[in-house]
Amino acid sequence: MKTSADKHKHEIVDELNRLMAEEVEAYLRYFQLRYRLRGSDLLIADKFMKAAMEETQEHAAEIATKIRILGHTPKLEIQLSLGGGPVKLQEALTEALDFEQQALDAYKEFLPRVEGDPMLEDFIRKQIGVETEHVQEISMLLE
Amino acid sequence: METWKEFEANELTHSAAHHLIAIHELGAEYGGWARVSDIAKDLGITRGSVSINLRALKKRGYVVTDEHRMVKLSAKGLEVANSVKSKKAGFKTFLIDVLGVSEAQAEIDSCKIEHLISEETSERLAQFMDEHKPAHH
Repeated sequence: MKTSADKHKHEIVDELNRLMAEEVEAYLRYFQLRYRLRGSDLLIADKFMKAAMEETQEHAAEIATKIRILGHTPKLEIQLSLGGGPVKLQEALTEALDFEQQALDAYKEFLPRVEGDPMLEDFIRKQIGVETEHVQEISMLLE
Repeated sequence: METWKEFEANELTHSAAHHLIAIHELGAEYGGWARVSDIAKDLGITRGSVSINLRALKKRGYVVTDEHRMVKLSAKGLEVANSVKSKKAGFKTFLIDVLGVSEAQAEIDSCKIEHLISEETSERLAQFMDEHKPAHH
């Protein structure tokens, strides 16, 4: 029989799986955007895109590790079909701002549910800090 | 236009239709406003995907957003959502009542074409169903 603590843990794991999916999907979007950039846009943003890919991948791996520590196996559910063709830097950054903002909102909304949990609260707070910086950085690039 | 190309000329994709319907249903209790997180859960996709899809729908005038990133159907979006839902319901009833398709299969098949059939066909279908209503005893 499931106790309320078990139910709470399952809900937390479900939410962590959703956050992991956001990060993996962000990685794939950066990957695709990077190779859709051309000419000077590519020169300007290539390093940024590569760093963003590495960081989103790291975040996804960190979340997967947390899920494992909680005694579960990460469950990745994404449905993605990304369009091809060249893209302008402005458009690529606008798209990146969209999904980074959503990741930030997701971490912020999740925080109250893990307050008091020494492992997850610190981690989510750190993620909020990192994602806030990302959003600010992309917003600045778009100014 | 050649008939087979009509399929590609359809303005609304299946995914877009489902976004509009999700917003319509989730917003029903909140003055039409829905949260991206709830739309994502409802559709089983990430918030990032919803946000990017909404950008395209906003550009085409189907939805509006506010400063809290809440989303609502525009008059045009509401019209489309109602039309798609009505087409789906009509076609599902036809599949079940006239063709004897199981409810589960009728749900799947009506979902597949809900956004593709024309207003003319939808209206004729509704008329046909009215004319062939089972007699009450």
